[in-house]
Amino acid sequence: MSEAMATRTPTISVRNLRKKFRVSNSAIGGLKTLLLWWKKRSVREFEVLKGLDFDCYPGECVSVIGRNGAGKSTLLAILARVYRQTSGEVKVNGRIAPLLELGAGFHPDLTGMENIIFNGVVLGLTRKQIRERIPQIIEFSELGDSINSPVRSYSSGMLARLGFAVAIHVDADILLVDEVLSVGDYAFEQKCYDRVDRFRKEGGTILMVSHNLQAVERFSDRCVWLKDGQMVMSGVPDDVLAAYLKDQVSAQVAETQAPE
Amino acid sequence: MRELWRYRELLFTIVERDLRIRYKNSALGFLWSLIIPIVTTGVLTFVYGYLANNGVSNFSAYVMAAYLPYLFFQQSILDSAQSVLSQVPLIKKIYFPRELLPLGIIIANFIHLLLGWLVFFAFLGFIYIRNPQVNPFQLSTIQLPLLMLISLFLSTGLGLIVSALNTFYEDVKYLTGVAMYLLFFLSPITYTSETVAYSNINQRTNGMLFSLYHLNPIAALSTGYRQALLAPASITIGNTTHPPIGMKPMYLYIAAAISVVVLIGGYALFNRMKWRFVERP
Repeated sequence: MSEAMATRTPTISVRNLRKKFRVSNSAIGGLKTLLLWWKKRSVREFEVLKGLDFDCYPGECVSVIGRNGAGKSTLLAILARVYRQTSGEVKVNGRIAPLLELGAGFHPDLTGMENIIFNGVVLGLTRKQIRERIPQIIEFSELGDSINSPVRSYSSGMLARLGFAVAIHVDADILLVDEVLSVGDYAFEQKCYDRVDRFRKEGGTILMVSHNLQAVERFSDRCVWLKDGQMVMSGVPDDVLAAYLKDQVSAQVAETQAPE
Repeated sequence: MRELWRYRELLFTIVERDLRIRYKNSALGFLWSLIIPIVTTGVLTFVYGYLANNGVSNFSAYVMAAYLPYLFFQQSILDSAQSVLSQVPLIKKIYFPRELLPLGIIIANFIHLLLGWLVFFAFLGFIYIRNPQVNPFQLSTIQLPLLMLISLFLSTGLGLIVSALNTFYEDVKYLTGVAMYLLFFLSPITYTSETVAYSNINQRTNGMLFSLYHLNPIAALSTGYRQALLAPASITIGNTTHPPIGMKPMYLYIAAAISVVVLIGGYALFNRMKWRFVERP
């Protein structure tokens, strides 16, 4: 399998990726910080990603695991071109659709229908293409007639369903999933996973971040473990998960023993 | 620039969304875009016809000719200030050229300006019907697209600057509000440039004040619009009636130059800051 993959071009290719954030203590001090620009502010710099290398191939589902603050979400944000990396190289082959969590791009005063159009265009479709897909999207989201009510009247489950339905129908080549597949009830969750499976079989690439280790084990072909911005391990989910859990347990033990 | 073309569908959608949201929860909807200039024209006609008559017939048309573009300028910039900040949740999730946010809002306001002109010319037609001896339409109206281009450049440049700065320093929004308010009184909108020219202080400074005053691009544009759209009118100050004096085209050239510089500078500033919008703590 790995030989077959090596001959194909990767859809995502990351080399020596680094990201530094600058955090100042007086973050948004309003105009004061602008007017007192010569005053030295205490700016703290911390490196979230410290040189990552990895590739993803078509038809592959790669999951990224690690503790909070390991840099998982930052990695996804850089791939989605939301953040610009400090250094390193990111090559993306194909169109990326990030799954927008809980309808981040929805405007509360517009109806579900109008929001579908807006979000679809943001994700790179033309309005004509979106209109053709609207029946499928509505059907998938199970929203029925609510699609013509303003989104502000939606429950969080409805928002999540709509967001997922739009993202999966825009024909992206790469899907970035940040902890959002557990939306709605059990039946809908299964439907999402089925749809994601189909997406992968059709040659799509999925990069997902999850703390749900069962989902990671079930869905991913490969697992990448990040710790403090560096890759600790990459490989078959079973092996990586085992090593990750062992590390977690020993860290916990060390923590409980430390005070003594 | 090429990227903007690639994302034109999104730009149209942002414009459409802005136009929809504005009147979303109102019964009359888009008609408000026409009602507001109509009501304004009506009130101004009453005020300048009966309450504050200054000897110029149909002075309300002179006010509208300068006020409509000013309204576009003011509204574009005030809306731009919030355009990026209000969409931070969206831009934290997905990439698209960030400049589309202020640009879309400015285009939406430009459409409102076009509707405003529609009302304005209807009003001129109404004046003509009431008094067919004098044709209020001017040949120089053909300059209107050029003047609007200058206004558009200036608004876009300042809109980009304000939207970028307000994302980090929210005082900018209030500062802009105050600036707009002062600019309204410092520009010949409710009065004419002749009033400035014949003022005592301008006479004493040998016209220095008049020149300085029109270096403000909004002042030059206000007079420019008025001269293009309407016949020159003599004004009465105190007991003396003064003949109209034209503004030299040089002031419009200066305004055009300023707006091009502001547009280029604003776009450069926006591009320098746009990657930091999402890292805004």
